Amino acid sequence: MSQVQARFFTENKKYLIDDVPFSIPAASEVADLSGVINKLLEAKNDGHKHVEFDFLVRGQFLRTSLASHMEKENISTEEVVEIEYVEKFTAPQPEECIMHDDWISSVEADSEWILTGSYDKTARIWSMEGKAVMTVAGHTDVVKDVAWVKRSENLQTGSLVVNDASLLLTASLDQTIMLWEWNSERNKVEARHCCRGHAGSVDTVAVDPTRTKVCVLPTVEEDEIEEPNRPRKKQKTEQMGLTRTPLMTFSGHNEAVSSVLWMDAEELCSASWDHTIRLWDAETGEQKSTLTGSKVFNSISYSPLCRRLASGSTDRHVRLWDPRSKDGSLVLLSLTSHNGWVTAVRWSPSHEHQLVSGSLDNVVKLWDTRSCKAPLYDLAAHEDKILCVDWTENGLILSGGADNKLYTYRYSTCVSDAGA
Amino acid sequence: VSDSNFSLLVFITFSVRSQDIRNTVGNIPMEWYKDYPHIGYDLEGKKIFKPIRNKDELDEFLDKMENPDYWRTVQDKMTGADIRLSDEQVDLVHRLQQGKFGDVNFNEYEPAIDFFSNEVMIHPVTNRPQDKRSFIPSLIEKEKVGKLVHAIKMGWIKPRRPKETTPQYYDLWAKEDPNSILGRHKMHVPAPKMKLPGHEESYNPPPEYLLSEEERLAWEQQDPEYRKLSFLPQKFACLRAVPAYSRFIHERFERCLDLYLCPRQRKMRVNVNPEDLIPKLPKPKDLQPFPTTQSLVYRGHSSLVRSISVSPSGQWLVSGSDDCTVRFWEVSTARCLKTVEVGGAVKGVAWNPNPSICLVAVSYDDTVVLLNPGLGDRLVCTATDQLISSYEEPEEVMDQSVQWAVAEGEGHEQGHRLILKHPKTVRQVTWHGKGDYLACVMPDNGSSLQVVIHQVSKRRTQNPFRKNKGLVQCVSFHPIRPYFFVATQRYVRVYNLIKQELTKKLMANCKWISSMAIHPGGDNVICGSYDCRLAWFDLDLSTKPYKVLRHHKKALRSVAYHRHYPLFASGSDDGSVIVCHGMVYNDLLQNPLIVPVKVLKGHTITHDLGVLDVTFHPTQPWVFSSGADGTVRLFT
Repeated sequence: MSQVQARFFTENKKYLIDDVPFSIPAASEVADLSGVINKLLEAKNDGHKHVEFDFLVRGQFLRTSLASHMEKENISTEEVVEIEYVEKFTAPQPEECIMHDDWISSVEADSEWILTGSYDKTARIWSMEGKAVMTVAGHTDVVKDVAWVKRSENLQTGSLVVNDASLLLTASLDQTIMLWEWNSERNKVEARHCCRGHAGSVDTVAVDPTRTKVCVLPTVEEDEIEEPNRPRKKQKTEQMGLTRTPLMTFSGHNEAVSSVLWMDAEELCSASWDHTIRLWDAETGEQKSTLTGSKVFNSISYSPLCRRLASGSTDRHVRLWDPRSKDGSLVLLSLTSHNGWVTAVRWSPSHEHQLVSGSLDNVVKLWDTRSCKAPLYDLAAHEDKILCVDWTENGLILSGGADNKLYTYRYSTCVSDAGA
Repeated sequence: VSDSNFSLLVFITFSVRSQDIRNTVGNIPMEWYKDYPHIGYDLEGKKIFKPIRNKDELDEFLDKMENPDYWRTVQDKMTGADIRLSDEQVDLVHRLQQGKFGDVNFNEYEPAIDFFSNEVMIHPVTNRPQDKRSFIPSLIEKEKVGKLVHAIKMGWIKPRRPKETTPQYYDLWAKEDPNSILGRHKMHVPAPKMKLPGHEESYNPPPEYLLSEEERLAWEQQDPEYRKLSFLPQKFACLRAVPAYSRFIHERFERCLDLYLCPRQRKMRVNVNPEDLIPKLPKPKDLQPFPTTQSLVYRGHSSLVRSISVSPSGQWLVSGSDDCTVRFWEVSTARCLKTVEVGGAVKGVAWNPNPSICLVAVSYDDTVVLLNPGLGDRLVCTATDQLISSYEEPEEVMDQSVQWAVAEGEGHEQGHRLILKHPKTVRQVTWHGKGDYLACVMPDNGSSLQVVIHQVSKRRTQNPFRKNKGLVQCVSFHPIRPYFFVATQRYVRVYNLIKQELTKKLMANCKWISSMAIHPGGDNVICGSYDCRLAWFDLDLSTKPYKVLRHHKKALRSVAYHRHYPLFASGSDDGSVIVCHGMVYNDLLQNPLIVPVKVLKGHTITHDLGVLDVTFHPTQPWVFSSGADGTVRLFT
């Protein structure tokens, strides 16, 4: 087997080539194939610049030579092989290193501002260039999670009550969640509500897609023995008042809840130390289904693009779950390359196959689910444990950890792949 | 002349008597003329009369003796006359007798001329054409073959018998009974070998082998049975001078007796594979989950960490170190949340097991401090503070050996709540499962005050033992029943606190117990000792160890059971933590299953000390270990 019949195709109109089968050497690798495509494109249009491509054979990235890949995937060499080519995802470039006073427990960024929670009991707002804009101080203990509720743009057009102000949430070890109002023009921050109700530190908060409800979770249950843990949800209403109590409590977890998120406006998902991921109905507060793993879950993330859950647990693997499977025991894939606990996972907001994971082994890994054997890129900038990662839609990957540094990486948003 | 030569003689007579009378009777048996006086007729027809034969035996004999030609004289049967054979005739007779041809000149071995050869001659010997018979198949043969074929068809004759494949020989000894007389010969017992002669047997031994006068006397007085040598070594000038050995016959006889009386019974040794004697243990892979890798390192202490304890929720970890600090850690991130300074090297820390009380007992020097770390639920912390402050002094002041004091000022800010001053250095603190009672150990050999039990809610101190035997190493409460375990150097004593009596005394079988842990079921105890042993006691079974594990290379410092999983761990001075699977069955008939599953390494050995304390996470299969290198490590 020295030659293979292959037909190349792409979804990207920019790099279309003629739809004819080519005979290519079986031993050719990604660089060779990329050269072939570039030659063809050059012959077609003169102004073509060299582009690196990546190749997919039946939905799996080609990482070795074509022959060995086909042998491994059990693809017949007799027929014409369909090879899809996409523009290569270039390595994320490190951009900023934002120093903090203490460990960074959480990060959430949108297109304009970066919000970080730190172990020095404050949350901070940074600009994309790494300039400190605001320090939100008010908690009496470590800030464990932060979240944007409303951005000022929305409010400018929509609401009359709050003008030109952003809303943000901070969850802390002091068992409270604070809702802050931040006026970016005057650069003033004001505590609006303090939400109480947890009998332990609040480790994670999540804001629902309509941005009106907040889900928060404690790590510890404090009641009688055998009493399950209590995730709680809180609705923000327009009434004024400093202290809020939970709107609804979701009971069922036996141990600390480590991560929570909204799948859509009606559905909640929570991961816990009791080795389960549970799905809840937000309206009734009932448990819908349970996914059972074998290890403690540290973090989960849901991608509405591919409708999968990714979980990071204490056994070095990133696992992908299908939340719709009722029995809940189906693990779709496991991505194995880390050497320590996976503390944070986050799906790409714009790409259905990409996710990042941060681990205690000081490395952030960028994964593509189409190549599950090895990550696309290792981002090894941190010198200590990584505690949080995040993406923004405008091309930034952020990671923060125990070395007090928040690193940002610029990645090229691949036009060909976006929303593919 | 014999009868066989008779016809010959006839032939000879013709030639001899050609000139003589010729008998004309022809070739007839001459017996026909036996009774007649004549023997035949001559050519003229006249009777030929038989010659007068009057010779008797005597004459015959004399003739034989005297006549030199007697041997060549034959009688002519035709005429009855005696004929003397000439030399040529005798020669001829000899030749014929030897089987040779009569004619001397005849060559028997003339070269043969092959007339009928394969070569086609121009002039053949015979020119007869070949028979028709030689061309057509023989009818007779066809008939014969037909008969054979018919016989084969009818099965009367077998065409070809198949060859016998089985060998024709057989094993003569196949069925022989090995116990029979013949079989016994297989068990050959070789005769014991005789000792080879040494120097003392030599006719000219070196002088040191010769006995001196005293030795010789002693030898003679000794009983022959006990003599070292059965003879006296002697020196001779030459080999010729050596006399015959007087005891030769005697010795041969003894040797024969030895051989004859030698026991021929052979001892049969049972061959057992040592592997088969080891009980079959399940593979560690099947005993998951258990900690396998180091996940987190809690760094911050500057000196050895003597003791660690995990909060009942599993979220916090407390560690006490020789650098006079107590640190509180967040388990999941290895973050040090709080550091509390105390007035001495911390010997022991213990988190209150009651989840509704937030208290940590810390022992240093002669003091035990109850700390409120302020971690976890704010309500619980304040409730704990209220519980302590709501104490009211009783009416009568009890004379107690331990001073209770409430911490104030800066100490209170740091979390100190109650300070208990003991008369002696406190080594270990441990809580009762309900969280109200606290036991402290003050090792002091022979003293009556080695163990005290405090009741926190009433601020009362009891000395449960009027006197202690030996040096108390550690104590522990039974998780369910009102029992109290006291480990001294060699024994573990189990006391019933209600009946106030000794119920059991466990013999650890080691030199110095260092640590002890009680199984959450309450029926099993493990003890670590400084002589590298870990002893597992089954209280229902015996007071002696059910199993002793010697996996560590150096002294054990700490042992621990997991609260839910069937796991126990031991930390040692060799820097390793060994995790074992220890399954206890509810069935009383089934003994605990103990399988070592993992050796966890990570701590560096400093000052010859490795791991000082191990403890399990309350809910997860994780084990924490603290070491002399100032770190606490989490293995998952």
